[in-house]
Amino acid sequence: MQIQESIYHLWINSTKDKSVDLLAKYNERKPFNKTSFAIKITLIALLILTIYSFYTFDYKNLIIIDAVKDTLINMRTMFFGASLRNFTILEGIRQVSFTLGIAFLATLTGGISAFFLGLLAAQNLSTKLVSNVVKGFVSFVRAVPTVLWVLIFAVSIGLGSTAAVVGLTFHSFGYLLKAFSESFEELDHGVIEALTACGANWWQIVFQAVVPSSLSYLLAWTFIRFEINFVEAVAVGAAAGAGGIGFELFMASARYFNIREVGAITFLILAVAIILELTSSRIKTKFIK
Amino acid sequence: MNPLLTINSLKKQYDEETVALNGVSFSVHEGEFVSIIGPSGAGKSTLLRCINRIIDATEGEILFDGLNVGNQNKGQLRKLRTKIGMIFQHYNLVNRLSVIENVLHGRLGYKNTFNGSLGLFTAQEKKQAFQIIEILGLEKQAYKRCDQLSGGQKQRVGIARALIQEPRMMLCDEPIASLDPNASKIIMDHLKNITTQMGITCLVNLHQVNVALKYSDRIIGIKHGLKVYDGPPKSITKNQIYDIYESEAGELILELKDQNEA
Ligand SMILES: Nc1ncnc2c1ncn2[C@@H]1O[C@H](COP(=O)(O)OP(=O)(O)OP(=O)(O)O)[C@@H](O)[C@H]1O
Ligand SMILES: [Mg+2]
Repeated sequence: MQIQESIYHLWINSTKDKSVDLLAKYNERKPFNKTSFAIKITLIALLILTIYSFYTFDYKNLIIIDAVKDTLINMRTMFFGASLRNFTILEGIRQVSFTLGIAFLATLTGGISAFFLGLLAAQNLSTKLVSNVVKGFVSFVRAVPTVLWVLIFAVSIGLGSTAAVVGLTFHSFGYLLKAFSESFEELDHGVIEALTACGANWWQIVFQAVVPSSLSYLLAWTFIRFEINFVEAVAVGAAAGAGGIGFELFMASARYFNIREVGAITFLILAVAIILELTSSRIKTKFIK
Repeated sequence: MNPLLTINSLKKQYDEETVALNGVSFSVHEGEFVSIIGPSGAGKSTLLRCINRIIDATEGEILFDGLNVGNQNKGQLRKLRTKIGMIFQHYNLVNRLSVIENVLHGRLGYKNTFNGSLGLFTAQEKKQAFQIIEILGLEKQAYKRCDQLSGGQKQRVGIARALIQEPRMMLCDEPIASLDPNASKIIMDHLKNITTQMGITCLVNLHQVNVALKYSDRIIGIKHGLKVYDGPPKSITKNQIYDIYESEAGELILELKDQNEA
């Protein structure tokens, strides 16, 4: 035991010089770290802003306790006394299907275009230049939020479901292209090399090697996007007058002030969202990592 | 008889510092089994990939069956590649597809974009695929997915994919480097049979000198992008192997060679 220990110390000591150097280097790096500094500054700024804004709010004659109580009562009516007045449950389901339809169309068109441009964005199937150009363009598309895309198209096409589909398509396209091209890039370069050596051309390699290897990822990502698009379509239905259950929700709350109906519609949306969420998380665990 | 493959002062430079091949010339006759040996980084893989233009050579000339490989246009190059099968250390199969689907990939060079992309192969092609699968002893695995196969089986699928091309030459890049001795022997025996029975020329990169000596008609030694030996395995001397691999590794390999001869 003792011998072992002394050997251990001998060994440790022999590496000492090097480790001292490394330690010095490590300490040198430590004192100023740009990222952690930036984070600290941001947090302090946010704290000051929060305190300042609470202090300067115009509270009118609001009595906090009453306000909270009223809100809770409203919530109770909304969710425990949920009922439909202006339309039937069947009509509700019809409107949900309409919203699902918008989401589906947007996912489909976005997915198909993302597939083809994704091939050009994948480094192993494209050239570095083309790949970077496509990726740059698409990160711009993705940076613009969905609702903004819808509003942009609402201006040119007019408010309505068409603008909703086109707008949702754009963001879906950006989102799916990134996911797709990354799945394509998973394919081992050697496989592409092997099929090239057989005399296969680019399209043949795409459909005989790339697609079979990444199909499950593509389907999983598409479904996840469909789920996101449903929620987005609800919001967009209200914001851009695209129709569907989102529009009914908007009408019930902002036009008729019928909180019971708002509750009922929320339950309906929630039910669909939960079904989609469960399905997509099952798909996710099955296919992605 | 004209050689099947002629390589004239082939050079390949990847970037300013890396010159992988620095003027290599040799020719290979139909039906020869040639092994290329040499240390890691010598340029063996680069050499094979220049032959079917998976990478473009910087300088030099490659003639295959009388055709200048460098001058072929896209369509001609596809056609030329069908005549050159290639197998790899890591097999490079589409793992999610079955054995038979992977074997049929060898026919893609003969198909138009539409039929090839959709995998529409003729009855004749499928029949041929099953025959080759049987020759290589894979009939039980024909419908298995490739990720369920052992390394030796995967390599046999690789060979089948190359054979269905009806090639005149096979390029083999370290075909047994990831296999145990048993599977290695099976693969090397298959390659040897391909040459002796089907008359397909084999050009094989090997790391196992004793295997190269045992199976080849001819050995080509490559070091630092240059050809340093070219001759029959019988006449290669210990010193020459020393020279190719540089001393320490040489000792190890020479021991193997002595065993082999004993
Ligand atoms: N794509 C590439 N880009 C840049 N350099 C490369 C590339 N491929 C190979 N090289 C370099 O070219 C030289 C020859 O590589 P090559 O793969 O041909 O050697 P090799 O003889 O096959 O070695 P090994 O026995 O390890 O497979 C090496 O120095 C390598 O680093
Ligand atoms: Mg190599």
